[in-house]
Amino acid sequence: MLTSNHWNILRSLMNRIIPQDDFPDAWEAGVGNYLARQFERDLRSQVETYHLGLEALEAESQAFAGKGFTELDTSAQDGILNRLEAGQVTLSWLVNPTEFFHMVIEHVMEGYYSDPGNGGNRDSIAWRMIGFKSRE
Amino acid sequence: MIHYDVIVVGAGAGGGVAAGVLAEAGKRVLLLERGGHLIFSQDPHDHLRHQRFSRHGHNAGPEIEGNPRVAVDAHGQARVVRPHEDGYQNNAAVVGGGTRVYGAQAWRFLPQDFRMASLYGIPTGSSLGDWPISYADLEPYYERAEWEIGVAGDGIASARHWPRRTGFPMPPLPLNKQGQVLRAGASKLGWETLSIPALINTMPYNARPACIQCQHCVGFTCPVDAKNGTHNTFIARALATGLCDLVTQAMVVRINTRPSGHVSGVSYYGREGQIQTADAESVICAGGAIETARLLLNSASPQHPHGLGNQHDQVGRHLQGHYYPAAVGLMPEPVYDGVGPGISTATIQFNHGNSGVLGGALLADEFIELPVIFWARQLPPDLPRWGMANKHFMRENYRRVMRVTGPVQEIPSPEARVTLDPSVRDRWGMPVARLSGTTHMETVRTAAFMFERAHEWLQASGAIRVWGQPPGLYLSGGQHQAGTCRMGNDPHTSVVDQWGRVHGHDNLFVADGSVHVTNGGFNPVLTILALAFRTAEHIAQS
Repeated sequence: MLTSNHWNILRSLMNRIIPQDDFPDAWEAGVGNYLARQFERDLRSQVETYHLGLEALEAESQAFAGKGFTELDTSAQDGILNRLEAGQVTLSWLVNPTEFFHMVIEHVMEGYYSDPGNGGNRDSIAWRMIGFKSRE
Repeated sequence: MIHYDVIVVGAGAGGGVAAGVLAEAGKRVLLLERGGHLIFSQDPHDHLRHQRFSRHGHNAGPEIEGNPRVAVDAHGQARVVRPHEDGYQNNAAVVGGGTRVYGAQAWRFLPQDFRMASLYGIPTGSSLGDWPISYADLEPYYERAEWEIGVAGDGIASARHWPRRTGFPMPPLPLNKQGQVLRAGASKLGWETLSIPALINTMPYNARPACIQCQHCVGFTCPVDAKNGTHNTFIARALATGLCDLVTQAMVVRINTRPSGHVSGVSYYGREGQIQTADAESVICAGGAIETARLLLNSASPQHPHGLGNQHDQVGRHLQGHYYPAAVGLMPEPVYDGVGPGISTATIQFNHGNSGVLGGALLADEFIELPVIFWARQLPPDLPRWGMANKHFMRENYRRVMRVTGPVQEIPSPEARVTLDPSVRDRWGMPVARLSGTTHMETVRTAAFMFERAHEWLQASGAIRVWGQPPGLYLSGGQHQAGTCRMGNDPHTSVVDQWGRVHGHDNLFVADGSVHVTNGGFNPVLTILALAFRTAEHIAQS
């Protein structure tokens, strides 16, 4: 199970993957809800990876920037995520940092752009943003 | 116990037609389907779980658990895969089979497609061959499929390439924005285009309504029942005779034979998990190219120790599907107009006669791409996968990107094959399909050539930028799986004769893509349907 602290980090992380402009960020569009449902369903076996990855991200943030990930400004958050993507981490991670980040990206995009029936894409907001029409 | 005239294993494209033709000919038919009925109200149009994008599951079976296969990659690494995972080569397992959820492109193979070895020679290491029948032999059955199941298309344009006695029963799909742009591009290149024929009602037909042009066609059930498959035509007709028993959740695990090779019937597990036996004068296998091969191999007996029809080690070989080299173009103006199904325009300019490569492919525009699939598959390779740049690309360009692709006719390899895995079993305790090998390198070369043509078409149509890359060497199969019980006159190099009868077994037939010697540069379903008419008619008359 993820704690509320894990969820806070995950919320900051997903909002850098899909940030807010005049359309909502990932959390506002319901991606947290999508993930919460998936952690009980298809992603049950990956909850532990999330647990380890989010804790490592938090530790990495403390080690690299002297603050928790949620406390950093967005450009500093992006800086750490760029390092994750390049595999340039300072601590030893229990999960592969690049693979972890790419996995989260995939899941966040699934929640944001798939049908609202999956729990994200609230009121089809992502579809209205890009101009996908659905008759049903 | 009822003694049937015919048992049909698998209620998909081929099996559905066979059951309908035979029941209407007065035969007592048992139609066994491993899956169930997929109905629209139970198909939530889940963008992450459907036949086109099975990221976390799928909608048309088989069940995720209890139906594994073993996929061996090009480096020889074997792994156990579930039905929605890469490498499984899944096809739908429901009443109607793939036709329940397909995109419904209704192409005939060209006359040349039946004579590939004569036209191109046989490359070293390939099993390229001619069919024992010609286009002319199949033409009357293509016509039946088009009229009785229902195809919309442009008969005049079609007749320029395919000898045909009649047009189509319905006018073609609407010409949408992307099709208009691509037609203008093709005309700059001097390429001829034509409307994509589809098994979709463009007007009320067969007592069902016209397509409502929705955005959820390929991969899903139709909301108004305007998509024509066997579930709403020949299976319905079979049941209406009162002579056909359709049993769902029935997994056939064995074809029972006498020492002579004569088939007595099948054994199957019913929905309560009990094994049952049914007897018949004839058995038709129509489970798709992977499951049909597996069933023949799993039906070994003391007289047929290597499986039925496999005395010359041909069952399961030559597995092929289609390569789909795709080019993606960013257009200066929106080309998305939301008019489903999305496909409208194709060229068959490059199916044959290409310098330096064997065969070719049709090229066509695409179905409406669902947003999550667009994100996963259509973005430029240098675009950041996350962050504001990614979001902005989606916002600005979802409606301005289009894709051109098409099914490359594979040059088959005998090493691309279905065997029985020595250790992995399914929920019924039967050895599962082990898929290994790859297509022949000539397929990769043709795919690279077709990628260049797709690229060229998008550029001529005004694309600001084009991306994508030609595919490498791998095993394809999937929904277009074919070739594993190829048709031929010589039992040493084929599994069935020109009627679909398994060599060495007087009353055992195959009526699915397994019998294709080659798979055309086209979606294969109309050919599967046409061959099933021909095989079923032959059985009915004998």
